[in-house]
Amino acid sequence: MRYDSITDAIGNTPLVRIDPAVHGLRNIDLYAKLELLNPFGSVKDRAAWNMARPHLSAAAEGSGQVVELSSGNTAKALAVLAGMHGLTFKSVTNRMRIPEIKDLLLLLGAEIEELPGQSECLDPTATDDPLTLFHRTLSEPDSTYLHTDQYFNPRNTEAHFTGTGPEIVKDLDGRAPNWFIACVGTAGSSTGVARALREHDPAVRVAGLVAAKSDFIPGIRTIDEAHEVGLFDPGTYDSIETVSADEAIEGMLTLNRRCGILAGPTGGAAYFGAVRQLRAVDEELAGEGSSDRQSAVFIVCDRVESYLSYVRQRRPDLFGRPRRRNSPADLSDAEIRTAPAIGVTDAQAWIATGEPLVVDLRSPYAYAALHIDGSVNIVEELFEELLHGGLPFSRNRPVLLACPVGEKSARYAALLTRMGHPDVRSLTGGIIAWRDAGAPLVRD
Amino acid sequence: MGGQPLYLEPRLEPRLRSLLDAPALLHTLTDALGSPLNMVVPDQLADNLQQFRSVYGTHHLSGQVYFAHKANRSSALLRRLAATDAGVDVASLAELQHALGAGLTPDRIAATGPKNPEFLWLAARTSVTVSLDTRGELEQLATLVRKHALPRVRILLRLSGFEASGVRVLSRRSRFGTAVGESGPLLEDVERHADVVDLVGVAYHLDTTSLTEKATALEGCLRVLEECRSRGLRPRAVDIGGGFGVNYLAHGGQWEQYTTGLTEAVLGSRPPLTYGGHGYGLRNEAGTLRGTLGLYPAHRPVAGARYLDELLSHPAASLGGRPLAALLLEHLYDLHTEPGRALLDQCGLTLTKVLEVRGQESGGPLLVRLAAKADDVALEEHGVLMDPVVVPRHPPGTGADVGAGPDAGAEPVAVHLFGSLCLESDLITRRTVFLPRRPEPGDLLAFANTAGYCMDFHATRAQHQPSARKVAAWQEGDTWRWCLDDQYWPTTPVGGAQ
Repeated sequence: MRYDSITDAIGNTPLVRIDPAVHGLRNIDLYAKLELLNPFGSVKDRAAWNMARPHLSAAAEGSGQVVELSSGNTAKALAVLAGMHGLTFKSVTNRMRIPEIKDLLLLLGAEIEELPGQSECLDPTATDDPLTLFHRTLSEPDSTYLHTDQYFNPRNTEAHFTGTGPEIVKDLDGRAPNWFIACVGTAGSSTGVARALREHDPAVRVAGLVAAKSDFIPGIRTIDEAHEVGLFDPGTYDSIETVSADEAIEGMLTLNRRCGILAGPTGGAAYFGAVRQLRAVDEELAGEGSSDRQSAVFIVCDRVESYLSYVRQRRPDLFGRPRRRNSPADLSDAEIRTAPAIGVTDAQAWIATGEPLVVDLRSPYAYAALHIDGSVNIVEELFEELLHGGLPFSRNRPVLLACPVGEKSARYAALLTRMGHPDVRSLTGGIIAWRDAGAPLVRD
Repeated sequence: MGGQPLYLEPRLEPRLRSLLDAPALLHTLTDALGSPLNMVVPDQLADNLQQFRSVYGTHHLSGQVYFAHKANRSSALLRRLAATDAGVDVASLAELQHALGAGLTPDRIAATGPKNPEFLWLAARTSVTVSLDTRGELEQLATLVRKHALPRVRILLRLSGFEASGVRVLSRRSRFGTAVGESGPLLEDVERHADVVDLVGVAYHLDTTSLTEKATALEGCLRVLEECRSRGLRPRAVDIGGGFGVNYLAHGGQWEQYTTGLTEAVLGSRPPLTYGGHGYGLRNEAGTLRGTLGLYPAHRPVAGARYLDELLSHPAASLGGRPLAALLLEHLYDLHTEPGRALLDQCGLTLTKVLEVRGQESGGPLLVRLAAKADDVALEEHGVLMDPVVVPRHPPGTGADVGAGPDAGAEPVAVHLFGSLCLESDLITRRTVFLPRRPEPGDLLAFANTAGYCMDFHATRAQHQPSARKVAAWQEGDTWRWCLDDQYWPTTPVGGAQ
């Protein structure tokens, strides 16, 4: 495959059959449309390119800016497309809750404006919410913005009506699947694909998936939020079901670990919702003893890599690592309580005569602001890491450990003692006690 | 009535629940003192303070919790507060006088907000800490101190307009505080006036429910404090204001059902849920939902002390990713907070008497007229949606099981609650309220948890209608005791109301 431009690589994604041993459906073939294999990483590449393409060259002449209300994948694709055409890109959103995506967008040169949180003391007469102000700026007469408007732009839906949908039919040897299961975000892909499939076979049943209201699944709206989308038409869907974040992650793990499909949580939600929906259908088919097989397609919207922090927050168990040697977590309360310690006055005398190595465990910013003269700064996380490998300084050199209130230093004094250091002490009450006693702190 | 009743049951902690379980007392009080009647429960304030203190403890932080006085005018609450170790932040001359008179010593008072010369003078005279909004205010204070030979004043600088690195956060404009970008000239002024002012630290107050915006501001403050230190100043505190929120509702599920119901009603797919089809900021444009829901997020799992805990645990992205609390601690800064609403959580309720219950010819919701004005129960004004609790005049059966569940045989009803003003707009709520039973004239409707901003903040004497009187109540063993708000002192509960 040889292309002249990366944009030529958008679309024509594979349709991969999920192993029946994984999903357990006996009479239905389940296929995943792998939109994660688009060049910028998601199903949104299609819509972004279709919406922006007609206007890019004109915008480039006027040194304009592409703007979109997007929390992720559309922004990513538009940022790349804008950059390729010498334009800048700005995303305005209050839904960007995935730090990796935010960083990636900044890396791609995007400007991100976040909408503020809700007011704590509401002003019921206020009419200008920040989103209204944003739209007003866009519609000013001399505005040079290219607003792709994904929630209302028919070219979003069209990209899937002319691309994604027909590709599915082609890969199923010219037949539409019996079932299409789609997560509702901008509603562009579900609406466009549904229309293409139904044009081929009006009997196609379309199941929409939304996020449970108290949950957050990136790329999926809750049912209330779906109503805010201009492209959303409840009539498109034969059913609308909710998926929880836990279920989305469960589905994602199955795709990741058992199918070799590195889908993100949205794809996981689609898989989970699809299997849940189809299980009942499958049993009916088995009961009828019908020999006809049915087929179903769901969309894998994007990749897992961007959602590690999202998953870590909800399922820390998935990131469990083996316990390490010399960890402060191994200490007993008694060991910490009886850790060698020294008060401020004695510590001052000791520093003057015994020349202990004074280790300040606080962050470099705090250390730079004020510290005990002559101390070295090894921030706690780093210190813990060092200790996994063994004692980081000689047994012959006495050590005084200091932290803000003497709690963390006590743990490390206990740990170093256990590791065989003969003369390590924790500064009782920490740097705060040192300050409160009027002992000198310097910034040098 | 349009499908299942959509309840929004208030969250009732044991004290308020116990008070609502004493209907005889509530009826006696309203019979004697009139409707509406505000009740405050001072002991709850002390308990709430402890929750904030324990968050400070978890993070090893020292510093003061200042109660934001403007949230309630009660003397009883203030005097109860004086008997704890908390502080109070005052925003007017009269509030300052009130605080001093309630027994709060100047070292426990902070003066904030817009200030007139009398307020500034009394603050400086009594050596309370002054939070300054602008360079102009600093100038005014310095002049005042010199002219009247007052003692050196401890000051905080209130900052605003914090910028996050990498991502620009759009903010509502604030009239308060000096933009961080202007902190240079402000600090030069502080140095110039070093003989009359003593810089304690910096402050911010952001009117937002967003944790990340507050975290950004706190990081910004740490940077300005570092700038102070490099100039040789000796700041030792950050005041992060309040806005930690209150969870008003007992069940998150009810809140979700209600807001979804409201969305559907606005889109026309279910009957209206409000008087006159009001959408609380939402509107239907060709089948698509537009606008912003102008409601307080009444069910908030993370509010009050827990919100503070989350904020302090939030990683400081621009300062190495350590939690904000760790940074404050390591930099040896005290943390000051100014919770108003959150400190008054579960501290009071408003009682209103039912005057009239009228059916409509169209068979719509019952019209219920209360002996109170909309300003007396300002829940609606603050966008807080919460059902009142019916306290029947004649409890069914023998027991008085108010608030303990629907009575046998009682049918749920939909009602619209009106006030006693001769104005079409005097609606206690704009929404259709569902009650587990039909109220009767003489019954009380108790609005729970109104002590923070929703009790006397908006009350007026329009049309010569009385505004609510206020009583303080406390428990002695199993018995509720009470006195007029003004009669309450921390010594009262011990000796009993005289």
